[in-house]
Amino acid sequence: MASAVGPGTGGLDDAWSRTIVGVMDRVVSVENLHKSYGERERLHGISFEVRSGEILGFLGTNGAGKTTTIEILEGYRPYNAGTVSVLGVDPAKATRAWRNRIGLVLQECELDPAYTVAETVTMFARYFDRATDVATTIHAVGLSDKSNDRVGQLSGGQKRRLDVAVGLVGDPEILFLDEPTTGLDPIARREMWTMIEALRDAGKTIFLTTHYMDEAEHLADRIIILRDGAIAAQGTADELSAALGYRATIRFDAYPGFSTGELAGVIGRPVVVSDVVARFESNDVQRDLEVLLGWAREASVTLANLQAIQPSLDDVFVTLAGEAARNELEVEA
Amino acid sequence: MSDVSLAFAQTRYALRGFLRDPSALGFTALFPVLLLLLFSAIFTGATRFGDAHVPARTYYTASIIAYEIMLVSFASLVVRVTTNRERGLLKRFRGTPMPSWVYLFSEIARTLVVVVVTVLVLLSVGAGFYHVRLSANLVVGLVTYTAAGVFCFSALALALTRLSPTADSASAFGPLAATILAFLSGVFIPVAIMPAWMLDLGKVFPLEHMARGLQVAFLVAGSTGVTWTDIGVMVAWGVFGLVAAITTFRWEPLANGSR
Repeated sequence: MASAVGPGTGGLDDAWSRTIVGVMDRVVSVENLHKSYGERERLHGISFEVRSGEILGFLGTNGAGKTTTIEILEGYRPYNAGTVSVLGVDPAKATRAWRNRIGLVLQECELDPAYTVAETVTMFARYFDRATDVATTIHAVGLSDKSNDRVGQLSGGQKRRLDVAVGLVGDPEILFLDEPTTGLDPIARREMWTMIEALRDAGKTIFLTTHYMDEAEHLADRIIILRDGAIAAQGTADELSAALGYRATIRFDAYPGFSTGELAGVIGRPVVVSDVVARFESNDVQRDLEVLLGWAREASVTLANLQAIQPSLDDVFVTLAGEAARNELEVEA
Repeated sequence: MSDVSLAFAQTRYALRGFLRDPSALGFTALFPVLLLLLFSAIFTGATRFGDAHVPARTYYTASIIAYEIMLVSFASLVVRVTTNRERGLLKRFRGTPMPSWVYLFSEIARTLVVVVVTVLVLLSVGAGFYHVRLSANLVVGLVTYTAAGVFCFSALALALTRLSPTADSASAFGPLAATILAFLSGVFIPVAIMPAWMLDLGKVFPLEHMARGLQVAFLVAGSTGVTWTDIGVMVAWGVFGLVAAITTFRWEPLANGSR
């Protein structure tokens, strides 16, 4: 906690106000978190925070440690070392008062199919001290017209939104969403996004795990990319692209007799040829294209299939998570 | 809402869920009545019970009531709790402010209500058709064994959930154990024609004591059927189950390893 006051800050008042703002602002604070299962260490000392009113996207492939982390924050799992604070409380010492302030949407939870939507939400509302109105909660997840339907009759996407209703009904100060769209069809996934956006607009603080980069990019204010139990990168979507130095690629079909050395001399950076495609990275696409086209005109060559490709965040994620992870994602998709 | 009213509200939910589950309802409510009708249609005469000869149908009324108490408290409860655990519901409940005891209370209270209702149905059938004479002694015996039976078998059911990884395994093991115990305890076959060694083996388990106690209450005039030995064995099994349940109970699904 004290780390909010860095060395060399201004006056005492300044330091104080910064600490208070820092503490109030931080709903979750994790420092140097380690978790092992037996001999195998799963989380290698990760540190991050969740600020009030933001959606933090916690992104990683299966096995990266997302669920381990979220379950530690939810108070389900003990940890081995580090400091964890959720709403100012160590989740390993969860109290009933603390449980009243957090909302959970678990990755795998099948609500009893025998009850209706309204019965299910009413039942969970009874567990909380400050439950919100049941009909309002059902409306918030877009299930008003399904209120009297049995849970067993709902579609996968509707069930998942009911999970969210049950997580929201206690009016939590932070909502944990563990892979809310995994296994949903594209339309149900969009509906879930719209609902989460509405929650964000209402000012809810949300910790969202996902293994879809587009989901994190679309919903999260900040993104943390977890790889093999360590944080590979974090920041806003724009910061991630910029900070990781991802450049555009310019490519064209290599023609017979094309020499990489000659072009590299003109462009001023390495040019590679693979599978009869020549490519080089570019920080300034306009300038490099001008140079390239001028060079091609002088050499009287035609550059077939000339393209400048901007990297997507998905490329960032795939590069960070590794090629093996990409294959896994494709299998799942 | 106080915890006590929460516990009763949760019990009403558990009952409602149970009543909407046709397979649970058929298994615990319809099946035993059917069994009683079948046995009474087959064994129409008298059977030896101790030194006396008694109507076999009365004998079966007492036996099937004992069987029913075990079926609901043990076989059905273990399936229901394991199912909810497999669904991730127990874990979900654990993540709310609801105290753990409230959930367990609701399932056991739900069990008690189902036992009382179904036992009354079986008793009515017995009184109407199978020579059961209602008396104060019978009521005392019935209430005592019902209470001891629900305690003993519910505790054992909760303990057994640790050994049944999935709802499927619970649905296979619960009824299997119930059936074997019923044979060993003179529930399905009159004690008069059972081999002695089998009866001795049956005495190790609580069903034999509940069945024998209820048979005495139903068949021996002027006796409640309640003995310290029979109640003692049932309570001992119950305490064993309770301690095992408290020390080994799991709220998270066992089969799907979590990441």
